[in-house]
Amino acid sequence: MDKLFPTQEIGSLAKPRWRVKAYRGNQLSEEEIAEAVKWGMLLGIENFNQLVKVLKEKDSPGRRRAVLELSAKYAIKMFEKAGLDIFFDGEQWRSEMYEHVVRRTAGFTFLGYVKSFDYRYFRKAACVEKPRYLKPFYLEEFVFAKENAERELKVPFTGPYTITDWTFNEYYEKKLAVNIKDFKRRKFEARREFIFDLIRNVLRPEIKRLVDAGARWIQIDEPAATTNPTDEEMELFVEAFNETVKGFNCKFSLHNCYSDYAVLAKYACELHNCSQLSLEFANRDSREMGVGSNVRKGYEDLRLFEDYGYDKNYGLGVIDVHTDFIEPPELVRDRILHAAKVIKDLHRIYASTDCGLRTRSWTVSFQKLKNLVSGAELARKALE
Amino acid sequence: MIGCYVTGILPRPSELIEKTRAYERKRISEEELEKSFAETAETVIKTQVSKGLTYITDGMLQWQDLLRPFAEGLKGVKVGSLARWFNNNMFYRKPIIVDAVERERDIIKDITYLDKLPRDHPWKAVLPAPYTFMSLSENRYYKDETELLFKLAEIINEEIKSLAEAGFKYVQLSDPALVYKPLKPKMEKDRLNLVCDALKVAVKGVPVKVCLQTFFGDFSEILPNALDFPVDDLGIDFYETNIEKLKAYSFEKGVSLGLVDSRSSLVENEEELVKTAKEVIEAVYPSKTRDVFISPNCDLEFLPWKRAEEKIRVISEVAKKLGGILHG
Repeated sequence: MDKLFPTQEIGSLAKPRWRVKAYRGNQLSEEEIAEAVKWGMLLGIENFNQLVKVLKEKDSPGRRRAVLELSAKYAIKMFEKAGLDIFFDGEQWRSEMYEHVVRRTAGFTFLGYVKSFDYRYFRKAACVEKPRYLKPFYLEEFVFAKENAERELKVPFTGPYTITDWTFNEYYEKKLAVNIKDFKRRKFEARREFIFDLIRNVLRPEIKRLVDAGARWIQIDEPAATTNPTDEEMELFVEAFNETVKGFNCKFSLHNCYSDYAVLAKYACELHNCSQLSLEFANRDSREMGVGSNVRKGYEDLRLFEDYGYDKNYGLGVIDVHTDFIEPPELVRDRILHAAKVIKDLHRIYASTDCGLRTRSWTVSFQKLKNLVSGAELARKALE
Repeated sequence: MIGCYVTGILPRPSELIEKTRAYERKRISEEELEKSFAETAETVIKTQVSKGLTYITDGMLQWQDLLRPFAEGLKGVKVGSLARWFNNNMFYRKPIIVDAVERERDIIKDITYLDKLPRDHPWKAVLPAPYTFMSLSENRYYKDETELLFKLAEIINEEIKSLAEAGFKYVQLSDPALVYKPLKPKMEKDRLNLVCDALKVAVKGVPVKVCLQTFFGDFSEILPNALDFPVDDLGIDFYETNIEKLKAYSFEKGVSLGLVDSRSSLVENEEELVKTAKEVIEAVYPSKTRDVFISPNCDLEFLPWKRAEEKIRVISEVAKKLGGILHG
């Protein structure tokens, strides 16, 4: 992109109540419909009254489909209205990044909830046979978004390492029990086989369909990338990324957040065909204005990537998605200008949110995104 | 003796999970949640008793993480933000040491369902080992980590004594940080000596058996020093430990063999575990066999309860078969 500091988001946006309930097949309350009307007007959705009429109908497959389309349209409009250059559809067609893929793929079975922390849990699946591709899981959503967006789309795509790390590996551990006696080695080799079968049989076929349908930028989401920070595991992560994206006529990037960047930085240069690393920094940073390492503490790991010789682009997290605090444009500007001093080549910086905005309300998200855009504009002006 | 037991926090069965979720959403009261915890403790205790486990725990179902009871219950410690629990997709809250640490009351005893534990079976309690507690905390008060380590060792010592008084016969000190070293080189001998000295403080004068349970890392890396630690038994994670290196040493302590993998849902083949256990026992006890416990490698909380239940059955079966073989 020619312009300095293009603005982008990472993927998810909260699902409105009306989207969740109507997709479940429930009737909506007056308030929920009013909420849809309010945002429709605010975002200037064409014919939104006609669309909102669907919400009042009884449950049917047609209504469910319409609800997905409507909320994706709203999300796209919100991103456009905020002035973002690069975005997707708020992942409105997906339940969640892990389950969405695993439920649509053969070879997995959900075993139930396991603890994440405190009273929070996640549904964990076991791989019980070789993963097989059943049907497209992102394609339709992408095609719809493409028809309805006026700017560049970046398709979030859950990465192989994360899916594998979040899944019990019964099939391969059992399979390798015959030949590998050492338990540790067996588990690792089972993980390898699992990850590459998943890439070959499921992920690459989906990427091919996306690329054939016109996807030009796919973002591989790997929140689990540094969970196992040994060299052996990090090499597996890199190999898996490279294998996933290999040979496609499409731009790829990697998103990773709330992780150990000292570990990731060491391997950043080994990622092939990865045009951008989008990283979370705002969450680690202070809210004071200013440029320089004494105020911009959250950005100190940028230096690590530079020192390892990483020379591709950054999706620079300048908006914290874990707080309702609305970053003023001046704070966004200073975060960008600080990074510009570290990175030198200004064209390598894309101003971004830390991660998906799914935990924030639409009101908060919209304001944060507007300030992201105006903060990037302030940064551009400051450098004129 | 060939025995078996669980090694930490058990998973909450699905009905209890639903209650905790309902509580989070303010749909049920604290009393209702507490009632559910107490009833479920009874269930998981029954499972352990019916499978013939040597020592019984209360399941630790309400523990949010290994350190939380201490982060919440000790004076001078605050509950910090979320941090990754080793290499797992699970998180704990970092204890922040903000002031002189003081133990004003019995911590573990007060949160354990003592009245649900069986009168006719010996009980086991689980605590963090001083080194792991220190490593996972943020020290904002003591002059260095050594000072904090020994302070925590004193606290653990008082806790073990209170548990012994309450009737516990066996205490496990969980020490994953001692062996989890994905990036760092092997622990220096001086540091291991420090760990040993802190353990001496922790177990001084306690009238119970103590096991130092290591997991998430290779136990053979802390050999031979660990053989001199002031504990009765040593716990080993067989999904992380190089067995061949281990077999080069002879032990004069008991062992807890973490042969069941709490981080995999695949139910182990009992015959294979019996064979591996036998191989290890014959190697590390060339002359005299000590106490051997068949156990999960770490807390079973990584699994859904149904699977954990099957794994409890496996440790029990393996212990039985092994006992049959070794004792003729």
